[in-house]
Amino acid sequence: MTRLIRSANPYAQGAVALPALAFAALPLMFLLLMLLAPLLRLLLEGVSDSPLDMLRGLWQDDYLRWRVVWSLVQALVTCFAALLLGLPVAWVLARYAFSGRTLVLRLLMLPFVVPTLVAAVGVLALWGPRGLLGAPLGLSLEETPWLLLYGNLFFNLCLVVRAGVDALGQVSASRVAAARTLGATPWRAFWRIEWPALLPWMASALCLVFLYSFMGFGLALILGGQRYATVEVEIYTLVAHELQLAQAGALAVAMLLLTGAVALGYAALEQRLSAPARADGVAPTRPDGLRHWCAVAAALAVLLFFCAAPVIAILLRVASAGTAVWAVLLEEETLLALWNTLRFTLVATLLATALGLTHALAARRSVWLRAAALLPFLVSPVTVALGLLLLYPQWSASLLLLVSAYAVLAYPFVAKSIGAALDSLPHNLLQAARTLGASPWRCFWRVTLPLVAPSLRRGMAFAAATAIGEFAVTLFLSRPEWVTLTTLIYQRLGRPGDANREAAMALCALLMALALAAFSLIEQPAARPLRAGVSASRTRSHA
Amino acid sequence: MLDVQGVSKTFRDADGAAWLLADRLDLSVGRGQIVAVLGPSGSGKSTLLKIVAGLEPSDAGSIFFDGADLARVPPEQRGFALMFQDFALFPHLDVCDNVAFGLVEQRQSRRDARARAQEMLAVFGLAAHARSRIWTLSGGEQQRVALARALITAPRLLLLDEPFSSLDAGLRAGLREEFVQRIRAAGMATVLVTHDESEARAMAQRGYRLTGGKLHSLW
Repeated sequence: MTRLIRSANPYAQGAVALPALAFAALPLMFLLLMLLAPLLRLLLEGVSDSPLDMLRGLWQDDYLRWRVVWSLVQALVTCFAALLLGLPVAWVLARYAFSGRTLVLRLLMLPFVVPTLVAAVGVLALWGPRGLLGAPLGLSLEETPWLLLYGNLFFNLCLVVRAGVDALGQVSASRVAAARTLGATPWRAFWRIEWPALLPWMASALCLVFLYSFMGFGLALILGGQRYATVEVEIYTLVAHELQLAQAGALAVAMLLLTGAVALGYAALEQRLSAPARADGVAPTRPDGLRHWCAVAAALAVLLFFCAAPVIAILLRVASAGTAVWAVLLEEETLLALWNTLRFTLVATLLATALGLTHALAARRSVWLRAAALLPFLVSPVTVALGLLLLYPQWSASLLLLVSAYAVLAYPFVAKSIGAALDSLPHNLLQAARTLGASPWRCFWRVTLPLVAPSLRRGMAFAAATAIGEFAVTLFLSRPEWVTLTTLIYQRLGRPGDANREAAMALCALLMALALAAFSLIEQPAARPLRAGVSASRTRSHA
Repeated sequence: MLDVQGVSKTFRDADGAAWLLADRLDLSVGRGQIVAVLGPSGSGKSTLLKIVAGLEPSDAGSIFFDGADLARVPPEQRGFALMFQDFALFPHLDVCDNVAFGLVEQRQSRRDARARAQEMLAVFGLAAHARSRIWTLSGGEQQRVALARALITAPRLLLLDEPFSSLDAGLRAGLREEFVQRIRAAGMATVLVTHDESEARAMAQRGYRLTGGKLHSLW
């Protein structure tokens, strides 16, 4: 009987959001064609024998075993060092209010948009044989692991510090105060109250640090040298120079297996961290006394040494090279590279925006769809490029494939950023709009879109920064006439002579200026931000 | 007039536990009448309003207005206005555009809608705040903006969800009087949901208590 008189109002509740499945079709189809199918093709290429035989084969090869072990070791050492250095710095930034703190917090975003190639060149400008610090100190760090580890820290220290500052902002002030009144010293209060709250955030950040370091390509290619190059570089060498696709496929499959568990852990932690923020965070206080100021100075010194020095080194090298070096910017080759970088970035960003927006809207009520948006973060660009090369050999030099590959790597930034904004959008605003006469589409157009616009812009800026600095996929899928700024810098570094090295520095300065333009868009404050998440800022490209 | 017939609603939490929020409820509200529904937090008062507004599905029962079944009428076509407990004002729009929102959805030109909103704001003593952002207003001012936004489209039914709960006692008494006058002047049917019985008695001709999913007549 109840069924007979059941109210069948198709417009209630569920219809407040636009139809999710219709939106999901575009990004899911794209993921299938540009990520999952290439990965499957790679699996078929790599696992010609049984998977166990394949792994045994890799392990029995001394050369390849060293590559895998070193890739793991450098990623783990980076995680350890980033935690050891980053946590104290994060604590100081979260707990002490000093002049310039806001600027420092904003500048922590900088490495997220600096292209990996610029970072690599920056490390060489600082510690290379003729580097700003390397030369006067008489250090010869080439063919040692230190350059790569330092480069890894340039990117990942900021990630850990930012995650730490965000996490410390979530620690309940009243709980810390209660611990202190119950006899805990500041250190004991940190250890027993703050650290347990920080733990999932730190674990999540360290998962990313591991993935970025393990799957990183550009830094390892330039800083690793012959001995300390990683598996990703080996895959590239096997494909580009030795044409050994089967062995490259086997290595890529081994990488996927190794990163899979970490990626799953990261996705689980992300889900847990998406809970709403606490309102009673510990407010930062002004440093009081020499000890506090020393802590602030030490934190800033660590950030300066690891996160700012390579960028400063490039600028100083370019400035000291004189005006002649700037002539490279007007060369035909450079103008072509700039044009290609800009047009690829524009098209990829627009495509990534369409994909990210539809994915975020579709994923509002689906944990699975939400997790799917993370997939491109969890697969290395080298693996994606190799898979595409194997699956679509006839289109390997197609502009559509290249730009689509850019978009698949960039669109999770848009999806994540908008997803966080949609989560924080008060549901009753949409309900109010409905009762005031707005249809679901009008609700989206007049309420949802304007309110998520700052996050959309932020996601687009991250996507643009990813496309501007993209290197790995371009090396695999590009044609000579599609040279971009990153590949041009790489070419210049490979040519002999100081003039080429200085030209590479000038090109890096240009690339950095483009990235900074994206950065300024990212950090432009919204007039009245919603509780837009920090989550988008916790991920970056690892090309 | 509004006629709620045999509406039932059960809420289930993530653990599968069920609460009966409405159990074959009947409620009628005539034109120009204010009817109050009282009850403690979580008793289902707000859910009842959302069911009437078309924002939540009921498990069973029907909603009629002027004899027409609203089962297949979407919220935006019902001609009702719901005033939310926290006002639900749009933070990306200024005061004037918040008030004009519903008129724009009725396909009036933005210019005309804004002119009407300005007039409405003048009536509510908020003309000076027309270009202000929502978060710069006091609680009482936001309350008036929310009511102005609800009334400007001349809805057939006004649904008020704890309209004064976030205001202090002094402001509440003054606004209550003002609200009653404006609603009566507009002559529309109104359902007021509140947990404050004195407020309900001061405003409504009839009052019910919602407990255990049932409505019990109080006056």
